[in-house]
Parts: sequence; C-alpha cells; structure tokens
Amino acid sequence: MSMTAQRPEARSKADGIDYEELIQKDRISGSLYTSEAVYRDELEKIFYGGWVYIGHESEVAKPGQYVRRTIGEVPVLLVRTREGKITVLKNRCTHRGNMLCVQQKGSLKNFTCAYHGWVFGLDGKLLDVPYPGGFRHDPAEYGLKVLPLIDSYRGFVFASFSPDAGSLDDHLGNGKLLIDRALQMSPTQEIKLTAGWVRHKIRGNWKMLPENDTDGYHVNFVHSSFGRVIRSQYDEAALAPEESLKSLTIDWGNGHTELDFSPSYVGEMAWLGLSDSSRYPEYVRAMEEAYGHEKAHEILAKGPPHAVIFPNLFLGEMNIVMFEPLGVNECVQWHTPLLLGGVPDEVNIRILRQSEGALGPSAFLLADDGVISERQQIALRSGDAWLDLSRGEEREEVRADGVRLGHVTDETTNRGFWHQYRKVMTRNAAATR
Amino acid sequence: MQLVTVEEQRRIEAFLYKEARFADQSRYEDWENLVDEDMYYWIPTDDPEADPERTVSITADNRKRLATRIAQLKTGKRHAQLPVSPMRRLVSNIEIEKMAAPKQQGTEEYLVHANFVVYELQVQSTRMLDVWPGGVEYRLRQYPDGEIKMYYKKIMLVEAGEPILTAAFIL
Repeated sequence: MSMTAQRPEARSKADGIDYEELIQKDRISGSLYTSEAVYRDELEKIFYGGWVYIGHESEVAKPGQYVRRTIGEVPVLLVRTREGKITVLKNRCTHRGNMLCVQQKGSLKNFTCAYHGWVFGLDGKLLDVPYPGGFRHDPAEYGLKVLPLIDSYRGFVFASFSPDAGSLDDHLGNGKLLIDRALQMSPTQEIKLTAGWVRHKIRGNWKMLPENDTDGYHVNFVHSSFGRVIRSQYDEAALAPEESLKSLTIDWGNGHTELDFSPSYVGEMAWLGLSDSSRYPEYVRAMEEAYGHEKAHEILAKGPPHAVIFPNLFLGEMNIVMFEPLGVNECVQWHTPLLLGGVPDEVNIRILRQSEGALGPSAFLLADDGVISERQQIALRSGDAWLDLSRGEEREEVRADGVRLGHVTDETTNRGFWHQYRKVMTRNAAATR
Repeated sequence: MQLVTVEEQRRIEAFLYKEARFADQSRYEDWENLVDEDMYYWIPTDDPEADPERTVSITADNRKRLATRIAQLKTGKRHAQLPVSPMRRLVSNIEIEKMAAPKQQGTEEYLVHANFVVYELQVQSTRMLDVWPGGVEYRLRQYPDGEIKMYYKKIMLVEAGEPILTAAFIL
C-alpha cells in the first residue's frame, strides 16, 4: 500500500465514505477526527442509529424529576413519570419546535411550553392545547417524541432513536460485567449520581475522549507531573518500566474497552488512593456482611472498572463520565462522582474529592489530557495524517470468547474502539428520527 | 460585620491587586506566600451555596491539595500550562467588611466580595483568547505585624454550570 500517493481524507462519494480505506488493520486516517462529513455520518449511525447512554435512574429518583441531556445534537429529557417509570423524550414541543425544559434538571407535574401554552404529561402525552377551537389534529399524534428504544441495565438507562438498534443486552455484551463491577463497590449494590456534574469542554474531536480514557501508554508522559507530586495507585499501575507493568488493556468486544489497573494494585483500596483499608472499617464490615469475607476483600482489592462502554459512557473508576460531541472540532466530557449506597459519608466525601482531583478543567489529570487532544486536533486538521494503531498486536492474548488482553501500554483498547466504529459506520441503515 | 476605614480599604485593595498580579504572571511561589495555613481554594459549579461535601466542585482545594497543585505547576511537566498562559485580570466592585469575630484570635479578619475578569491566551494549543468572568469571595487575615494572608478564596465563575475549557492556571 502506498502511503504517499493519495490523501486519505474522508471522501463523500455517491455511495458514502470509504471507511474500509480510512480504518485499516493497523492504522487510521486522521481525517476521521476532522471531516465534517464523517461527523455528520457519526451522528446518524452512532448517536441516532445505535444505543447510547442517557443517564442513571438515581438522577431522577422521584416522579416528576427530569434531567436534560444532549444525544448527538438532539436535546432530550430523562424523566421519571407519575407512575414511577423511566422515559426518554425529545425536549422539543411538537407544535412549533420550542425547547420545553431550559433548566439542566428539575421537578415538574407537567411540561408546559412557554411559547403557546401546550401542556404535555411526564410521559409525553399531549394534555392540553389552549384555544382548542382551532386545533384540527388528533392529540394522540402530537405527544412529545418518545425514543423508540429505552431500556436499562441495573439503573443505567440507555436509549436509541432507531427502532432497529437491536437489544440493549446485545449491545452491552460484556459491558454488563463492567457495570456489575462498578455496582459491587457498594455493599447494597446501589450508586447515587446525586452530586451534580462538571462539564469540561475540549476543542478536540469527541473520539479522543473514549480513546484516551482507556489508553495506558500516555500515562507516564502526559501525567508525569502528577506522578512527581502525588503518590497514587498509578505509580505501580502505569508509571513504571515496561517489563514491570502488570496492568492490562482489554478489548471486551462491541467497542467496550478497559484499562485494568487491578493486577498492579498493592493492598486493598488502592483505587481510593490508600495503601490498605484500615481507614474505613465500617465500610469493610458492611462489605463483608454483604458479600462474605473472601469476596468482600477480593472486591476491595480489585476496585472499580476503568472502562468505556461504547460510544458515550466511561466507568471512570469512582466516576461516571459521559462524552458529548459539539461538532467535529469540539466535545464535552461530563463527570460526576460515583457515590455509593450503604457506606459512611466519609467514603463518599473522599470519592468526591478524588473526582475533582482526577477529572475536569482544573484537575491534576484531565487538564493535561485536554490540552493534548487540542494539539492533536490542530495537527490533524489538514486531513493527511495516518495514526498508528499497531502497538502490541503480536503480543496480544486472544481468549476463547474473543476477548483480547494486551500490555497496559499497548493499543488493544484503541483497536477495540475502532473495530466497533468501523462495524457501525459501514452499516447502511439510516436512523429514523 | 463592620465597615472599614479608608486606610484598611487601601491596604486590602493593594493586597488584592498584588494577588491578581502574581496569579497573572504565574508567580506560583509569590502567590502561595499570600496564602495562610487554613486556606480553602474553591471553584463551585453553578450553585455557590451547595455543600461541597455532597456536591462536586470544579476545584475544592484544602491547603494540602493547593500545595500539590502548585507543586505540579512547578514540575515543568504540567502540559496544560506549558507554556504558561499570558493573562491579565481586572478586579473590581470591591466590597469589604470586617468580621466581628475573627476565626483566629488576635487578628483582624475581612470578608471581601469582588468581581473579576481574566483574559487568558490559551497558548498551549489553540492560541485562542479565553475570557473568564466571575465573582469572588475572599477571606483575609491581618496579623498584628501588618502582614495580610488569604485563607479563603471562592471563585464563582459566570459559566460555572456550563461546559468550561481547561483551566490549569490559578484563577
């Protein structure tokens, strides 16, 4: 293959963009991060055509509570209905297209449009049209658009704009095990996403977020300043010579990828930045009562996952993180601490402070990642780059079930992401919105 | 709460302008020397009254974490501030009250509210001029020898609840 003859930028041919050419076995075209046509296509195929993470049930614990989200570029609402059911609605009046909810979150009895006073129930049904004499339609056809697929796995709510996205179960696959591992950090298997969100804007393409969040190779370089001033679990997990690193990159299939730091953790609660679990005896006791001694200590040693659920959810250890594209050149990384049910307040306060330390615009870690993504975006703008994806392919272990395990510095996770991306992007089915 | 004398006001304003200048110039050691041992450096999200033990903040540094933040900036490897952002900030609308009961006995303590705008050139990557407006609450302590230290700085960004850009500098 000639690497010089032609510019590999994404071309809009009559039959679309040639993703087989742009995503090769061991390299990808930089134009995938910078092409407006690719971005538009991603909105249709990934964000509107497949399953996306919307939110967690604990964010809308009571009937009438809602939170705003943006899926692709479409404003939606995650709502708890009067009957206590979860629904996902477009945040857009069916009359003249006005955005209904302006606040990021709230609690309401109904949705009333400020423009002409149309009233919708929490389930989206049209309840009232002022001055009904001139209204000629069937109200049943003018409810708020409910997303055709809405499902949840253990409180994590996913939805799709396309009725043809298949089952959530199939989409999640091994991702369910990752969610299980996050939940089992609580003795009651409960998490509470009630601490609010910080949103970090990065002038880079959204795909840099899932890629970087499970890239183990960069840690020793991008985060060397962190390593110098803070003693952390990452010292053994990612900041050591190649042969002594025991952490793994894992491709779980379906684009779900993990950086598994746990093989290098020393002692329990390394994932809380501690050398053992003596600081929180009450938490340890609750875990032992819930899971039995052996399993409890296994969980406390292994800790939470550091894993991306394709395409927009990151189980970032004791954080829940969401990716939102803002056009081809900008994105937002949302994060909230993963607070645990059934633990003393001190544990959750530590999780809060750890969250601020790691993630967000001023954090010890993500501030540096953000700037690197922005530099990539500038350097890739010309569209003529190829990005290497080959590292460690020959030393990857492939399990019988297809799961791939790599050295922590290898690009097993990046390959897992791009493999799924190519699969989704080469599907023809257009989303129906 | 009590009003302050003109002389107190001038002393405190001079402190605020010095603090702003050290921050603008990324003079980390000089800036840290203005900070007292019980410092709390806090950038809440959109609800400035939210309890930081239940609500995530953009930044919530106690003295120890603030020291780590500054140490990280001084490593020369903090990519988000490599090179440091050229900045100029304006501090205005300064209102000063004297605390009736100082936290630390034998000192004078002041509660100060102000507005600010930081103009920051993001030279690390995009080279765009970013604007950071907000309100700020300082709590200052004057020791008997006249030295003023800051023990609380709460930065209420206008955009605190919105997606915000990387801000690894001292706000």
